[in-house]
Amino acid sequence: MRLADVFYSTTVRWALAVAGAFGVCTVLLFGFVYWQTAMYITGNVDTIVRANSHFDANLPRTQALHFVATHLADDPRRVKLAELFAPDGAPIAGNVASLPPGLPLDESPRAVEVVRVDTRGREAQAARVVARRLASGDILLVGHDTGDLRQVAPLVARALMMGLLPAVCLALITGAWLTRRAQRRIDAMNRQVQRVMAGALNERLPVRLYDDPLNRLAKIVNAMLDQIERLVTELASVGDDIAHDLRTPLTRVRALLERGRDSARTLPELSAATERAIAGLDQSLSIITALLRIAEIDHGRRIAGMATVRLAEVLQAVHELYQPIAEDKGVSLLLDVHDAQSVAGDHDLLLEAVANLVDNAVKFTPASGSVSLRLLQRPAGPAVRVEDTGPGITDTEREAVFTRFYRSDKSRHAVGVGLGLSLVAAIVKLHGFSLTILDGPGCRIEIGCHAA
Amino acid sequence: MANVLVIEDDDGTAEEIVTALDNRGYALDRAADGIEGLERARAGGWDVLVVDRMLPGLDGLTVVETLRHEGIRTPVLVLSALNAVNDRVRGLRAGGDDYLAKPFALSELAARLEALLRRPADPRETVLHVGPLELDLLARAAHRGRRVLDLLPREFLLLEYMMRREGQVLTRAMLLENVWNYRFVPQTNLVDVHIGRLRRKVDGPDEPPMILSVRGAGFMLRAPG
Repeated sequence: MRLADVFYSTTVRWALAVAGAFGVCTVLLFGFVYWQTAMYITGNVDTIVRANSHFDANLPRTQALHFVATHLADDPRRVKLAELFAPDGAPIAGNVASLPPGLPLDESPRAVEVVRVDTRGREAQAARVVARRLASGDILLVGHDTGDLRQVAPLVARALMMGLLPAVCLALITGAWLTRRAQRRIDAMNRQVQRVMAGALNERLPVRLYDDPLNRLAKIVNAMLDQIERLVTELASVGDDIAHDLRTPLTRVRALLERGRDSARTLPELSAATERAIAGLDQSLSIITALLRIAEIDHGRRIAGMATVRLAEVLQAVHELYQPIAEDKGVSLLLDVHDAQSVAGDHDLLLEAVANLVDNAVKFTPASGSVSLRLLQRPAGPAVRVEDTGPGITDTEREAVFTRFYRSDKSRHAVGVGLGLSLVAAIVKLHGFSLTILDGPGCRIEIGCHAA
Repeated sequence: MANVLVIEDDDGTAEEIVTALDNRGYALDRAADGIEGLERARAGGWDVLVVDRMLPGLDGLTVVETLRHEGIRTPVLVLSALNAVNDRVRGLRAGGDDYLAKPFALSELAARLEALLRRPADPRETVLHVGPLELDLLARAAHRGRRVLDLLPREFLLLEYMMRREGQVLTRAMLLENVWNYRFVPQTNLVDVHIGRLRRKVDGPDEPPMILSVRGAGFMLRAPG
């Protein structure tokens, strides 16, 4: 691993970021401590300076000299400052070499740099001072050294250095450890996902007991994988069904053609065989068409046709379309329509859905039975109900009838490609309506719509 | 003899179309891509164009759009392997006169071409006549000779459609699309049943039949004799 790679590896970057943030926080904290200490020391010194500068401004020069002498009399720590300056600023007596330039002459203590002059020599000192002009014109300066403050700064800095380095190191280690741990989990997830991508659809990401964002992500990915696995399995079985349902008519076509070729003696015989072969091919093609349509509707690509649809008209149209078919079969097709609300939908698709339900109902109802087509008003909106007196749908078949290609054993002999109800389900789903199979003698199916 | 230009890139399909239409007495020519097709269509002299939706060079819909834009009104039948309903709408909007999804029966193609070539009789006519059959659109009355035909509203529309296209083969899909306005293929032979009922009303037991079944294609209304 090159150095650049090391630097850019997530672990190192995170560790550095954590350590950096930690370091900045520590420096800020120590800065704050220093600032507070400085405030405290300055406050104390100012109190002393204020107390010492309570002299009478009318003090004559002799008494001012006396004040200076008294003030400086007892100062073993060499912290007191006092000086009497002539009106022109020349020092007269005291321990301050010169009047700091630009120092305002009032009662507030100010921070200045002065040079202390006493028996032990000259020394620069940082101090808080008050300077006032006396009635005589002289200037009396009183002050106090703030050297303590200077000592605090290196003290704090040293403490900072002693504390910061280990703290940053600790942060680096902690950061590295934490990110390394996260990295390992991500690597594990990564490996697992790779396995899924390689085809092991039943593999799942590791999930822990306690919940953290990574864990939630893993759960979501697992849920997604469940869904994908279900779809793939479904697709595979649909594929099998397609293969079966296509193979059956295609095999028949093949047999027909073969027989026609081998045994047809006359042209009419041959063309009869061809005719039947074409019918078989048409059936195979219609399966493909139906499947494509279901896929198209499933993907919601027809949503563009949404408009206000009057269900009563749809039902009347379907009734008109199927009335002769039912009659030919000896089945009575009843229509019960009240002027119900309109719904938002695709007219052609809703017509197709209802037509499919009626088609099925008529197909499975024996002669002298009846099929009724009703428009009901439910609290949630209008509902279309198709009822017949046919064999009905058993509980176990209910879920299955909506899957593609399902045909119950008793209907295997009936004409149709077994995609009708899947198509209805897809159309209903596209509209956000509900499709329910109700209990009862015969088959009762209801499409529950929302009012427009 | 009607001149037909087939713009289709797939050799197999084109050959089938050409052979089938040739047998039915059309004069055919074929262009294998969009650009060639557009040029030849522009040159004129065609009675109808058959244009595949997806072509190399220039998309079929673009060909139709360009022709329409240039004011060329030759009827166009759009062929497409795409079955989506929106696709059909797009094909018709681009200026196609009819749309046929692949795979199709050659008889369906021929019937639709025939329909495009023989535009229906004057649509402003209010009384239609075919042989002894008379349909009064204003009075909503139908007669065969002196016999009154008692028709349901849809049967009336169906008969009107057929009478306007006398002697033409009408496929089930054409009837479903144009008489019922339905775009889906029902699982049951709905059209046959409806035609059967109409036939029982139009063709009396001892009358020569006027509504004929055309094997492998559809139906036709024709004056008897």
